[in-house]
Amino acid sequence: MSSKETFTQISPSEFFYRNRDLAGFSNPTRSLYTAVREFVENSLDACDQKGILPDVHMSIKAVDAEKPDPKQYILSVRDNGPGIESKQVPLAFGTVLYGSKFGLKQARGMFGLGATMAILYGQITTNKPLIVKSSTDGKIQDEYEMLLDIQKNKPVILKHETKEVAKAGLSVSIRLEGDYSKAGSKIRDYVYQTSLITPYATITFDDPKGDRYRYTKVVRTMPPSPTIIRPHPHGIDVETIRRMLLDTNYQIPAVDDNMILKVRKELGLANKNLSYSEIMDKTQKKWKALTRPVRTVMALMSFLKMDFEKLSKTTIEEIDIGNKKLTYWDFGESQSVSVDMDPESFYYKQLASTVQGETLTSFLSKRFQRVGPTTALKFAEFAKFKPEHRIGTMTNQELVKLTDALQSFDDFMAPDPSCLAPLGESPLEKGMQRFFEPDFLAVVQRGASAYSGFPFIIEMGIAYGGKIASRGIKVYRFANRIPLLYDEGSDVVLKVVNDTDWSRYKVKGEPPLVIVSHICSTRIPYKTVGKENVADRPEIERELKLALLSLSRKLSSFMSKRGQAEAAIKRKNLYSKYIPLIAQFCTELAGKKKEPNYKKMITEEPIVEEKT
Amino acid sequence: MKKKPKKKVSEDKQSTLADLLRKHGAQIYDDLDKGNFPKFSIPSRSVSNIVYDKKIRQYILGANTAVRSSRNSSQLRSFTQLMWLAFFANRLTGQKKSSTLRDVYYSSQAFEVDFEDQAESDNIIVDLEAVLASPRESFHVFPEERSSVFGDLTIEYTVPGYQGKKTNLSDHPDGYAIGPSLTTAELIETSAEVVIAVEKGGLFTRFVEEQVDKKFKAIIVDTGGQAPRSTRTLLKRLHDELSLPVVILTDGDVYGEHIAMVIKSGSANAAHLRGLTVPDAKWVGVWATDIEKYKLPTIPMTESDIKRCHDLLKDPRYQEGIWKKELEVFLKIKRKAELEAFSKYGLTNITDKYLPHKLELAKSL
Repeated sequence: MSSKETFTQISPSEFFYRNRDLAGFSNPTRSLYTAVREFVENSLDACDQKGILPDVHMSIKAVDAEKPDPKQYILSVRDNGPGIESKQVPLAFGTVLYGSKFGLKQARGMFGLGATMAILYGQITTNKPLIVKSSTDGKIQDEYEMLLDIQKNKPVILKHETKEVAKAGLSVSIRLEGDYSKAGSKIRDYVYQTSLITPYATITFDDPKGDRYRYTKVVRTMPPSPTIIRPHPHGIDVETIRRMLLDTNYQIPAVDDNMILKVRKELGLANKNLSYSEIMDKTQKKWKALTRPVRTVMALMSFLKMDFEKLSKTTIEEIDIGNKKLTYWDFGESQSVSVDMDPESFYYKQLASTVQGETLTSFLSKRFQRVGPTTALKFAEFAKFKPEHRIGTMTNQELVKLTDALQSFDDFMAPDPSCLAPLGESPLEKGMQRFFEPDFLAVVQRGASAYSGFPFIIEMGIAYGGKIASRGIKVYRFANRIPLLYDEGSDVVLKVVNDTDWSRYKVKGEPPLVIVSHICSTRIPYKTVGKENVADRPEIERELKLALLSLSRKLSSFMSKRGQAEAAIKRKNLYSKYIPLIAQFCTELAGKKKEPNYKKMITEEPIVEEKT
Repeated sequence: MKKKPKKKVSEDKQSTLADLLRKHGAQIYDDLDKGNFPKFSIPSRSVSNIVYDKKIRQYILGANTAVRSSRNSSQLRSFTQLMWLAFFANRLTGQKKSSTLRDVYYSSQAFEVDFEDQAESDNIIVDLEAVLASPRESFHVFPEERSSVFGDLTIEYTVPGYQGKKTNLSDHPDGYAIGPSLTTAELIETSAEVVIAVEKGGLFTRFVEEQVDKKFKAIIVDTGGQAPRSTRTLLKRLHDELSLPVVILTDGDVYGEHIAMVIKSGSANAAHLRGLTVPDAKWVGVWATDIEKYKLPTIPMTESDIKRCHDLLKDPRYQEGIWKKELEVFLKIKRKAELEAFSKYGLTNITDKYLPHKLELAKSL
């Protein structure tokens, strides 16, 4: 046993390379499927964000068709989206953890991570570069060929050229090891179901065998796009609070050349060299127009009593508000110097507020949704904090106490659902109509609800009969417009469907029944890292149940109408069978020769039954 | 020699039944012709509609009736089945043919009336009995099981091919099966003064061998356990038409006692029918009190015997006389004895000793 261990820092690329199983790249079958998903979802998200009706073309071609699986494939996805600015392309595709999707709103993928993972996986298995073609204006297209430097987490551009094109959009092509013979059915299911939940998109898939699967758009209107919103207090943890404090509570600015340049600019001094007192005069006059970092610098200067020349040769070490002391390092003298700060000074108050941060109530009402000044005051009382408590001075223990209180305070309004983008009843209905051509169809969109501070909306549709095969209840599960294809058994939607006593709704045997369930949320509570099944949160389960209940009631009334029609036919057949027999028997009994004239009784409609 | 006072009883019955069938047929024919859905009214045979009539000393159906309508799709099939049975019964009686429950079920298959099983067709037969208020034997549906009769009784057949032919029922030592031809025969004359009904075939044979018919001037009837309806009909006719008293000998247990009671006053199952009972019939043994009196070998009563005993004690017909008393004794001694128990004292003990005692006693019951 060695007690010697070495600790080395690894790059994000390196981390994902080592943990690619987590991201769905565990084997050639799963990897091919995951890569398809990541690229198609990126394309759809990009179009959604710009309000463009998506037209996504995906193709998978074998490099050598004769070879047995698993083998190398070329996966290409092309869209009509906004494209990516030329200089952003290498970073966007060549760096792990670079993305545009940080923020709280509903989107298919979270950080654009998956696509990079797919690129990484392709490179690991084939050592071939990725090809990206992007045009943002529909005139000039940038074409990059590049590799990822895994250890440095940097793109290596092999080729970059531009040419003229007619359409805007993005095209990504990677070579990767995959197993289409095994992944094929899942990929086709994925394309089919994605089209079902994205009825405003046209999706085309050319498979390796030369078959084309094409689903054209059913509707021409897109659901309203979601807005980015502040977090809800219930959905917060200690780490999130800490991060929020970091960017609220401006750190002591580094007084470097860049900063001095900025200060000069804001004060309108350009290259003029003014004395300390002249600078402070100017500061007084322009104070209201200054940005916060500049105000902080000016406050510091007021105590340091330096001009810019001198200031550039120091670095601030500590601002001790309690003891009213300011400590800085003087490069020229190579020593630490402390100066006193006058607590009565205007600049002291400015500095104190910067260092200690805002008051609790102002922090809460500015940085969270659903918290106004009144609620913030009520909350402070509930959490046993002073409303004017400076958040910058909170200890770790106090932060934990604050977080616990935020989660358990019941008087916050439910989370704002404007960050959600449900599909909407009409597009869902039209999509289902086109896909299933059923005899009966009903859809419902529930109102917004929330679990643990995350808003969510349930949309559900139910279709019966028509071209649906009688193979039992088929459930299509979607989360944020992504089909969930794996791990069906443990999903909360399945649980709710299976807990339903279908015979109560006159549904029996192996019914031709399809249920489409769509959960929209800023955070879907997945059960596993594979993100294929939704956990049974009571709030979500309840909404699913209510949605299913309202739909199955409609189905039930359809079924009983249909049942009545079928019973009428059955009855008519019964009369046609038995009345002639009765006629035959009674003719002989009565001793007559000719049968009674009963024909009209079995041809006339309808026969009203007599219940005894 | 007793002669029958009135002639041609069976024929009269047949003609009224045929009239009834024609009447019902014509009614339905008219309904159909007018475009109306025909319906039947059938006395309800549900437990709540079965009541005991003290006057006629049997169970009868109350006033409740059930309407079976051909308009109601859930009744249409059974309506058609009932119509078919009436049609079939009309053919049987018209052509003087006989059938059985089983035969009816199989005959139905040629007519697409869809009986699911024999139980369903048996049930429709009871429906028709209720509508016509006549036992199925009257429309020539006879039981499968046969019991027997022996003794000096001259009958005249009415069945086709045998009309006018006479037979004396003491001509054959195995006895005569009580089948359709015997049931429909006219009872002409007899020298007998009593009818002895015994529960078991074994004892019936012993009685014939021991010439009980001659020694006691008796007609011996084997009921073969619970008496079939044709046998009960014959017993009633022997009593009513020839004025013969009827005595019944059964095993010494609750089931034996009830066999005797059914002959006397019918069963709840046949509450829709009259004319199957012999209210004056007398149960003469084996009584519970006989077990001690004659020191008969016994076996213990089973749980179900005891339960049956308690059930019968609630029956209105068991509220008085020996019927009640014997049940109570059974319950007290909790033992039972077979008719064969007498063979402990010799094979002829029952005919030599017991039977004479009981026949004598019967006169005073």
